[in-house]
Amino acid sequence: MTLLLPALLYLSAAVFLGGMGWRLSKWLRTPVPLKIVLTPAPKTTLGVAQRLAWELFGFRSLFKADPSLWIPSWLFHVSLVFLAVGHLGGLVIPKFAEATLGLNENQFEQLAQISGGAIGILAVTALLWLLVRRLAAERVRWISTFSDYFALALLLLILATGNQMRFMGGLDIVQARQFVSGWLMLHPVAPPNNPMFAVHVLLVCALLIYIPFSKLVHIGGATLFSPTLNQRNDPRDRRHIGPWNAVPAAAKSK
Amino acid sequence: MKAPPLNPDAAAGVHAHRAKKDLLAPLGLPSKMPSDWRTKALDKFGELLQKRRSLSLYLDICVRCGACADKCPFFLGTGDPNNMPVARAELLRKVYRRYFTTAGKLAGRLAAADELTDKVLDQWYTYFYQCSECRRCAVFCPFGVDTAEITMAAREIMASVGVATKYVTEVIKKVHEIGNNLGIPEAAWRDSCQFLEEELKEETGRDIKLPVNQEGAEVLLVPPSADAFANADTMMGYAKFFYAAGVSWTTSTYASEAGNFGLFFNYEQLQKVNRRIVDAARQLKVKRLVMGECGHAWRAAQAFTDTLNGPLDFLEKPCPEHICEFAARFIREGRLKLDKSANDGLIVTYHDPCNLARAGGLTEEPREILRAVVNDFREMPADTIREKTFCCGAGGGLLTDELMETRMKGAKPRVEAFRTTGAEYLATPCSICKAQFPEVFKHYGVKAEVVGVMDLLSKAIVI
Repeated sequence: MTLLLPALLYLSAAVFLGGMGWRLSKWLRTPVPLKIVLTPAPKTTLGVAQRLAWELFGFRSLFKADPSLWIPSWLFHVSLVFLAVGHLGGLVIPKFAEATLGLNENQFEQLAQISGGAIGILAVTALLWLLVRRLAAERVRWISTFSDYFALALLLLILATGNQMRFMGGLDIVQARQFVSGWLMLHPVAPPNNPMFAVHVLLVCALLIYIPFSKLVHIGGATLFSPTLNQRNDPRDRRHIGPWNAVPAAAKSK
Repeated sequence: MKAPPLNPDAAAGVHAHRAKKDLLAPLGLPSKMPSDWRTKALDKFGELLQKRRSLSLYLDICVRCGACADKCPFFLGTGDPNNMPVARAELLRKVYRRYFTTAGKLAGRLAAADELTDKVLDQWYTYFYQCSECRRCAVFCPFGVDTAEITMAAREIMASVGVATKYVTEVIKKVHEIGNNLGIPEAAWRDSCQFLEEELKEETGRDIKLPVNQEGAEVLLVPPSADAFANADTMMGYAKFFYAAGVSWTTSTYASEAGNFGLFFNYEQLQKVNRRIVDAARQLKVKRLVMGECGHAWRAAQAFTDTLNGPLDFLEKPCPEHICEFAARFIREGRLKLDKSANDGLIVTYHDPCNLARAGGLTEEPREILRAVVNDFREMPADTIREKTFCCGAGGGLLTDELMETRMKGAKPRVEAFRTTGAEYLATPCSICKAQFPEVFKHYGVKAEVVGVMDLLSKAIVI
């Protein structure tokens, strides 16, 4: 019974990794027959890397579109990254993190509480902002489907249960650390005796399984695969050969 | 332009005329819809998903954030929610989910998946022919999702079961049979060129030639065929420019059309129509290939020619070159004598054709030319020019009378931006824009004229 939760988590992680691998390899395998880059566009690979970095880390196109959408969207994604790093540093490798930051255990604990708490709140705020926008803006409400609300609800619940444990106490942080690091090191141990923790983990399982089969698959680096953004603007300098144009059409007829 | 309130189905009643047997059969398409059209359409859909990452990726990753929703001129003009790029794409996406994704097969409508029915096909025919493939939405999408790719795929799927517009198929048929979109036969082309030579003689007193099918010329100029008739000033502009620049050139009656309506239809035609210009360049043994003032032609020619019908190693680089690049190069090198005052009294602004700005990387050369030949040159607001330019409303195969209502509404954001400048001349190097704007100006009561960039250059050239 005690190992049910880690087992479920392994299963979900396997579905996540397998699913993402399958989706990403499908995109990678599908050919790009023509140059369809959006111009103005860089002519060099380095330039393309810069363009993609701006998109990936700065959400540049989204900023161009609508700063009031960019703010919650960017904040949410950044806080997700921090939460992931925090879970890893705080729960899995606290000793290493303490050493790296030059803090003692107490100070580290304080830092984790303050930064983790702040980011947890920030993430919820950003998500609520996105939800309110989806409901309030006529155009966005019109295009929204059940799955858009489902994804928001799932993420909100995960954050809410996490925040609840942090702010309202009741979680044995040492046990939680052992659970997560044990799970990661493939030596699963029993979870902390806290129903909210179990709910939190179960919701994460649901999210992991849901991601590869929904729009959330975009976290696999959609921007990097996008031909309008990742191509060099050099169709006249370098012949781009589509897979079925390998034999030049003009030569075929002669 | 401020987004209008949603007005569902506002544009649902505007349809292009359907192509019949006489137009479908010559393009190798079913003369009428087969009884198992659904299976055939889904087969084609599956094939395209295997062949184009743009399609498969862009159907997968949209998060419906709505960044694109208020960027489409056809949505801004009509208020019809299905004209929001994200909603337009959803028309295809919902069918994709139902037949090609695990979630859609299992969860159906809960996963926003939907069957391909007659009604859905009707929606496709309506709304994928109210998209001009202008790609403005893609500029604002965090993933670069390009609705033009979705529209092209939808049109290609429809075409495979004999559902196509009369306008686009008719144009493609004429290109293959006669050599150009307008259906101008060789004799008329020669007549027209001769007539324009006489005009130029009268105007300048010089023997400025418009050579036709001249082997061994340095440049093969491929203009949109409208330049030989409707936009004669542009055609004379090319001639006067080449004369002043001392460059030998020719047009070809085999490829007397820069436009490539294959881009608005299917891959096969895109390749076949494009092929003509390469063959013409070979036959005429020219050194350079230069494209005239046409927007989508530039996209098809500069981005796709080498891929589709290359290698182009028998021609000098850059190949092809745009006439505005070519002319700007001569101006930059001081090889043209110009007198700006010839255009005094004209207040001019520049309209970026979508395909030049967003698909052809050509925004500065036309401006360079205009600044060199016009004293009062003004820009439209920054969020409506260059990569953010608004479509004139009739690109992408929409330039047909029965779509007039949509065309006029789609032009609204462009007209509003134009009005802020106080300009009386709108210069643009695109034949579709040049055909659309006079209608637009009439419709909105704007007193302004449409000119080509080469027209204004030609006026300022001193010979």
